[in-house]
Amino acid sequence: MRQTTSSIALEVKPDSEALLLSLIARLDRPDAATQPAMTKTDLLARMPSLHFFSLTVFPRGVFDPLFVIEANFDGPAGPFWPQLEAALGPQLRPMIACCKRPADGCGPLYDAVTAPGSRRDLAPYLQTRAGKPSVYHHGNRGMSRQRVVNEAALFSAVEAELDAAGQVAQTWRILPPADIHARLREKLLPQFAWLAQPAPARKTLGEKLGDWVRLAVLVLAVLVVLTLPGQIAAGLVETDRLVIAFVLLTAIVWGSLLRIAGPLEGTATHGRTNLLNFAWRQIFKILIALAVFFAVAMLVVTPTTVAISHLSWREAVIPSARALGWGIAAMVVIVLPALVLWLRWLERRDSTQDAPTIDEAVMRLMREREDHTPINHMAAMIPLKPGILRTVLVHVGHRGLHLALRVFIKDGYLASMRTIHFAHWAFVNNGARMMFLSNYDLSWETYFDDFIEKAHEGLTLAFGSGEGFPPTRLLIQDGASHGTLFKAWARHSMTVSRYWLAAYTDITSDQIERNFRIAAGLRQPTLTPESAAQWIVDL
Amino acid sequence: MSARKSDRGPKRDDGSWQLTEPHAGMAQGMVVSGYDHLPTGEALFLEFAWDRHQRGGAWLAALNAIAPVTPADGKVPRSVSLSLSWTGLARMGLDQRALASFPQAFREGMYQRDRMRRLGDTCDGQWSDCVIPTGPRWSGNTPQLPPEDPASVPPGQVDGTTPITVHAMLLLFTATDAEVAAWSAEVEQALVPQGVHVVHRRPIALHKGDDGIVREHFGFADGMSQPVPFDPDATVPAAAVPNGWNAVALGDVLLGHINGHHDIAAGPVVPIEPDGRTAAAGLPRHPRAGDAADFGLNGTFLAVRELLQDVPGFWTALTREAARLRTEDPHGGDVIDATWLGERVIGRCMAGDALRANGPLPRNDPATPDNEFGFYDDDQLGYGCPIGAHMRRGNPRDGLAQRPDQVRTLREAANRHRILRRGRKFGPPIADRMVDDGVERGLLFLAINTDIERQFEFIMQTWMMNPNFATLFDEADPLVGTATPMSLQAKPLRRKAHLENFVKLAGGDYFFLPSLPALKYLELL
Repeated sequence: MRQTTSSIALEVKPDSEALLLSLIARLDRPDAATQPAMTKTDLLARMPSLHFFSLTVFPRGVFDPLFVIEANFDGPAGPFWPQLEAALGPQLRPMIACCKRPADGCGPLYDAVTAPGSRRDLAPYLQTRAGKPSVYHHGNRGMSRQRVVNEAALFSAVEAELDAAGQVAQTWRILPPADIHARLREKLLPQFAWLAQPAPARKTLGEKLGDWVRLAVLVLAVLVVLTLPGQIAAGLVETDRLVIAFVLLTAIVWGSLLRIAGPLEGTATHGRTNLLNFAWRQIFKILIALAVFFAVAMLVVTPTTVAISHLSWREAVIPSARALGWGIAAMVVIVLPALVLWLRWLERRDSTQDAPTIDEAVMRLMREREDHTPINHMAAMIPLKPGILRTVLVHVGHRGLHLALRVFIKDGYLASMRTIHFAHWAFVNNGARMMFLSNYDLSWETYFDDFIEKAHEGLTLAFGSGEGFPPTRLLIQDGASHGTLFKAWARHSMTVSRYWLAAYTDITSDQIERNFRIAAGLRQPTLTPESAAQWIVDL
Repeated sequence: MSARKSDRGPKRDDGSWQLTEPHAGMAQGMVVSGYDHLPTGEALFLEFAWDRHQRGGAWLAALNAIAPVTPADGKVPRSVSLSLSWTGLARMGLDQRALASFPQAFREGMYQRDRMRRLGDTCDGQWSDCVIPTGPRWSGNTPQLPPEDPASVPPGQVDGTTPITVHAMLLLFTATDAEVAAWSAEVEQALVPQGVHVVHRRPIALHKGDDGIVREHFGFADGMSQPVPFDPDATVPAAAVPNGWNAVALGDVLLGHINGHHDIAAGPVVPIEPDGRTAAAGLPRHPRAGDAADFGLNGTFLAVRELLQDVPGFWTALTREAARLRTEDPHGGDVIDATWLGERVIGRCMAGDALRANGPLPRNDPATPDNEFGFYDDDQLGYGCPIGAHMRRGNPRDGLAQRPDQVRTLREAANRHRILRRGRKFGPPIADRMVDDGVERGLLFLAINTDIERQFEFIMQTWMMNPNFATLFDEADPLVGTATPMSLQAKPLRRKAHLENFVKLAGGDYFFLPSLPALKYLELL
């Protein structure tokens, strides 16, 4: 089952911010006189595909307030917005009226849905305004809400069976695992008839192929761009001059890079990973990717050479290979290091915020809402560092991160952590800021400390383009390793999750996978002694 | 006993460490020493009841005359440690800017509504079963702000105010009972004229057994695993033992040094005033605030919890539960008795050795239980030390790793949340663990840490009380947590014990353990 993550970011009329906040607050505390009471259970029943939903208002600062509607649900977006309207339409309509009339072609639609007493469907407006995340991550990919709930119920039933007191309990421990499995299945099948059916695939072959193809296209596109300088130079300059230029540029770039690559005073954190050793660990994959690129690119470059040079196909092969070879060599030895040099030059001049301001009242409000259940919600808004390199890096980086998460994360684990249900980034305010919304397990401290301590390179890569971020070095070093500083910065970036609706609040991402494994075992009519011994560990 | 793998652990360290000068002369001795050679003592909980015309620091001068606070620079025949609550510092007249510069956790105190909830002390706004039914008896009584969102507060929410207000905690460590009795009477006598009253007191003792092992009241060897701080500029040894199981950055123990998150553990500041008080106290200029002195350097924070232990209740319940488990396991339950179950609650055998599937972990040194072990290599699934055991929740070491390549990272990550435990028992040892003698006894839990949220509160919330710790479901720490089932991993099938809470919070709060120069500054107020 495919899931969708979507968010709608609407600029708020500054004078309507207070009204908007009060309208959102009323969702949790409806005024019985003016509004029929609608419990969260009612809402969830009306939106059967919904996993998590939130409403957030990012306060004014450099920009006007921003109202964000976040939804994570099963299936495509099309059917969801009418569901949302059916559940919350009367409440959402006045909230949307607190937002600015869009300056684009959506203005008339906005007028129609926000006119006093309007009964015009809201769903088309929501659909039009829904943005596409730049990155999203689904920790339990392919697990529909119904399946999560069903398998949690199965888990409870399994526990109840095993923990039934008295004579029943005695019999379990004398059975081998395969027999325990068989007996449990026999006992539970009447109550959970779906155990007799094959499990729906969490990811279809089409989805997997699609992810791979998208990633391959991105990698190819990046390689094309990065090899262009070398290819063009090879086409314009004779080999002897090319060699001289190559050596000179290499010396300049690497000399400069080595001079400034080190940490600024007081910012080093002695991590174990840097770009070079990371690349070295992936050397075989890189070589294979370059070889594939060479082969594929030859199929494009050779005809191009034929077309522009009047050479025959046979004659065009060698100059094409020469151009490509120079392109790849220049990319590896000059272009990429030059980009890293440019980045390092910028990093050394970045303004980092030593004491990010945290409004204590907002902080208290956030904390008052956190940790009532094992699953929590957070919303952060991060202004982006300026400049073309940073802009390109963050956009290409997000695309790459998104596809890498889709392709390589198979069991929900990010490094050694499986604490995210649904999280996403999206660019807002015309790309001036990025928003991060997450539905995660355990406390905020745990969530962030986990990433700081176990995946700070990834965290630095993902958030290092944010203004005020702790000092970074060569894209992935230092940065979030400054844990105290990073957490202060992250809290400073956050605002209160004003309204949060969750279809389940006590089934952690880890537990969903545990329930999945138990259910997958019980769907099997029999297990071998080996697989039963492995399966029973989860009980 | 299981065969010991020779390559199981990294290079050994004996856990000893010292501060170098000038830090040793500045920090309080309690930071570097558990005062093993001073087995008796008393904790005096003080309230400042002076009138507002009195100078805030006068009482410290009086105290200094008979019980000067001990620095961390050598072995002493008796020792004093002094820490203050936020209200204590405020009552002494510490500058408002200084008070505001303390971290939020300390300023709010342990009984701030959201902290109580996260620590597991309240549940749905009421005291949980981890707290004595009347609610804690003492705290700093830090004033609480009203909720930002009143609707977030459950109806009937307890407000966390305690009958006794504690402004300072004075710990006296001595070699004999007689010595401490005379000394504490002398101290009390000297403080009364200063308007400082002893409002609560507990004897604090090690009560070492004949075998030299310190046991807590339930009978388990205690204080087995302590972090070993390192800092290239301030400790001996200066660097961590490579891959050591217990290495922590000094900044996780003392303010003003680099902490486990690569930042200077930030402490409070006091303004530099023309009267020269900061210079007279020897407070250095703060590295970041040009007009302020570093009030935190070589100080730290104490999380203090007075925990009452119901020894007969604990063992009676375990006996009952062990009998039930035995009945449910007619073919393999012979080994199960109260001690067997108690050892799985703790995760170590009564003598302190970590449990493994084939018996206790063999010792490298016959005299002491081994403390250099992980869980991933030989007990990942918890067949020896259950996954939810108190020891494993208190410090998961590498046990949360999923793959071999994560072991090092996970061990280092766990070490970023360590606390230095300096707790001591109060109340006499029980004669018969099954018979209630009507005497209060327990543990005065004292945890040294510089980042209360990342260390003490993290351990409580993320490990101890977390119902989903290590893919368990709806369980809590079997020793200090609320009454929950506990999975005991076994073959072919896990057992599930149903446990109650017999360790209850009777008082506590967060305290600032100032450096000696900071105490001098307070004395000059």
